[in-house]
Amino acid sequence: MKNGMGRNLFLFACVAPATLLFFIFMVLPTFNVFRMSLFERGAYSPTETFVGFANFQSAFADPKFIRSCQNMILMIVVVTIITFGFAIVFASILTRENIKGKNIFRVIFYIPNILSVVVISGIFSAIYKPENGMLNSIIGLFKPEVLADPILWKGERMVMVSLVIAMVWQAIGYYMVMYMASISAVSESLYESAGLDGANRIQQFFMITIPLIWTNIRTTLTFFIISTINMAFLFVTALTSGGPNGASEVALSYMYKQKDAGLYGYSMAVGVIIFLFSFALSGIVNKITEREPLEI
Amino acid sequence: MKKRLVSLVLSLAMVASLFAGCGGSNNADANADANANNDAVVSTEDAATPAPAPATKITVAAFEGGYGADLWREVTAAYTEVTGVEVDLIIDKELENVIGPSMQGGEFPDVIHLATGRAAGLTEQFIKDNLITDITDVLSMTVPGESAKVSDKIAGGFTETALTNPYGDGKTYLAPMFYSPCGLFYNAGLLEEKGWAVPTTWDEMWALGELAKAEGIALFTYPTAGYFDAFLYALMYSVGGADFFNAATNYEEGVWDTAEGQKVFEILGKLASYTHTSTPAQANGEDFTKNQQLVLDNKAIFMPNGTWIVGEMAEAPRAEGFKWGMTALPAVEEGGDGYSFTWFEQAWIPAGAVNQDAAKQFVAFLYSDKACEIFAKYNAIQPVLGIADKLEGDNVMFYSIYDNGAKAAMGGFAPYASVAGLGTIQEVFFDPINSLVEGTMTVDQWIENIKAATDLMRENIVK
Repeated sequence: MKNGMGRNLFLFACVAPATLLFFIFMVLPTFNVFRMSLFERGAYSPTETFVGFANFQSAFADPKFIRSCQNMILMIVVVTIITFGFAIVFASILTRENIKGKNIFRVIFYIPNILSVVVISGIFSAIYKPENGMLNSIIGLFKPEVLADPILWKGERMVMVSLVIAMVWQAIGYYMVMYMASISAVSESLYESAGLDGANRIQQFFMITIPLIWTNIRTTLTFFIISTINMAFLFVTALTSGGPNGASEVALSYMYKQKDAGLYGYSMAVGVIIFLFSFALSGIVNKITEREPLEI
Repeated sequence: MKKRLVSLVLSLAMVASLFAGCGGSNNADANADANANNDAVVSTEDAATPAPAPATKITVAAFEGGYGADLWREVTAAYTEVTGVEVDLIIDKELENVIGPSMQGGEFPDVIHLATGRAAGLTEQFIKDNLITDITDVLSMTVPGESAKVSDKIAGGFTETALTNPYGDGKTYLAPMFYSPCGLFYNAGLLEEKGWAVPTTWDEMWALGELAKAEGIALFTYPTAGYFDAFLYALMYSVGGADFFNAATNYEEGVWDTAEGQKVFEILGKLASYTHTSTPAQANGEDFTKNQQLVLDNKAIFMPNGTWIVGEMAEAPRAEGFKWGMTALPAVEEGGDGYSFTWFEQAWIPAGAVNQDAAKQFVAFLYSDKACEIFAKYNAIQPVLGIADKLEGDNVMFYSIYDNGAKAAMGGFAPYASVAGLGTIQEVFFDPINSLVEGTMTVDQWIENIKAATDLMRENIVK
């Protein structure tokens, strides 16, 4: 019994610091966000007024917030689909096929992930430059009229497309490496026997590779939703500052700007909405991607 | 059993830490109360003792702008030399991020030098929440180390604008600092080479626009839409004078339906059609120098800017024979007044600052001959009388704009309490210019949006 007590004390001492820190730095601030979303106050004013759910009502009646949410959802959907498609196909090719310079490709694909968003925004500024920019120059080879009347990649009409391209470019490598790891864990014999049965590469990909790495795909999907919400903020801030005229504002950058406009409570309410949204979305995605796990 | 015990202990720890959190916030409140009490105690002590012990150290937070950081180091050193009060200097390019968190925690620098119009809008937030100390009495104070009064030194008009007296009650809350005439900057070499005259009216401007278009040069560009603030203020002055400007900046009802109001938007709409097409795609924090480069490369003629542009683009490549030129905004009619907006920064004392008196002394010192000289060495020009004689280089030309017939425009929009969804002045008035140039919005839509927004702003003006 005495031994048991000592052991428990030891366990307690081991776990307590982490639990405590987690509560002080994660749980409490989160609760505070919820609390402050019910108040109206400036970031620096000592007084605050309780306004109930008024901040939430204003948010849903605010067309600029609605637009920023639409942009965020567009990014989550489009960036996720494109990145996943490319990452899985590239991973499958690089693992399954015998290509020269596999490792070089792996490194090249992974490099964007090491770069900071500020560097990426610098690179894409040069790519998207209207006059003599890389993209317009290449298009100009085939459509010379583009040189005279350049496509405004960061203009109001194209800015979301440009952001999506940059985000996909940045994210592919990371997810590709993850899928490569799980694809290489799939037993070679399965592919061999499938080959003997007459399945071609594409059938093997859909019948063997995808089902066997499904658990991995599910996990990364959840990662992806949360990281896209955060990365969108970084990309928008660095590449476009939300412009032109708010066309590329996403929910988090909108929240940040509301704080600067002196609406601290309102920006917290926006934060709460994003929090609940990402929580719910992850839950829904997790639920609908549920499959019987395959064990070989 | 053991497992259960451990989980019990852990969950207890969780609950306990929750309470600890609550206790923490209570403590914080209690501390705040205690502080308030302490303050009270301190002030009664001050009243009791005949000569209150003056502060021996103050904290000054200054924005590191285009003028660099050294000017503040030298000025604070000079202040210490004159008064013996030590200065703790915080200087940063992202000053908001450095002092913001500690101010949220209730710790304020004694003097803050940070202009309005920055993205983080820190100064605006302090104005809106009435958190700035009234410094009207500083104007009648004697400049430390000199015999002159502050009000005798500051040039006329600077302490009577909406930027220094935000509540329109005749009291000064923000001290004017580092002024710079804003106007249209251009390549004087290009105009000379082509034999084009600098337009003095908007009609001449449009005529020049057509001439330039024929040569593949755009008439106009702008770094970001935010640069339209100085431009719009000067335009409002030249269209309708001070009366119209005051009506517009106080969001008076129907002001945009008047002939003057319509004229302002007619000019802006027309200007948008003469703007370099790449401009809106580069009008962001990352690419704005590319728009400025359009002027250096002779791809666009005019851009609204301030005198800092010379230093900012000093290293940039430029067209042969490039020479900076600057002109006031053209007059609306032949013989009318051209206006140049006088942009200036502000220094202020947060209401939460501990050493209010010493802070006021420091603000007064900023207008001393010694301080002005140090600032001028770094091209930062204080709004004091007689400063024009001390200018050098390009500055002589820039600051002489008012001697050459242009009138000075000063002021800004009245502060209003933020309302969710309303947006800032920048978002309502200036950002849509990007859409106008790109053609995704018409001038009429823009005016409608401004009218709806200014109705709300009028109701929420901070008094």
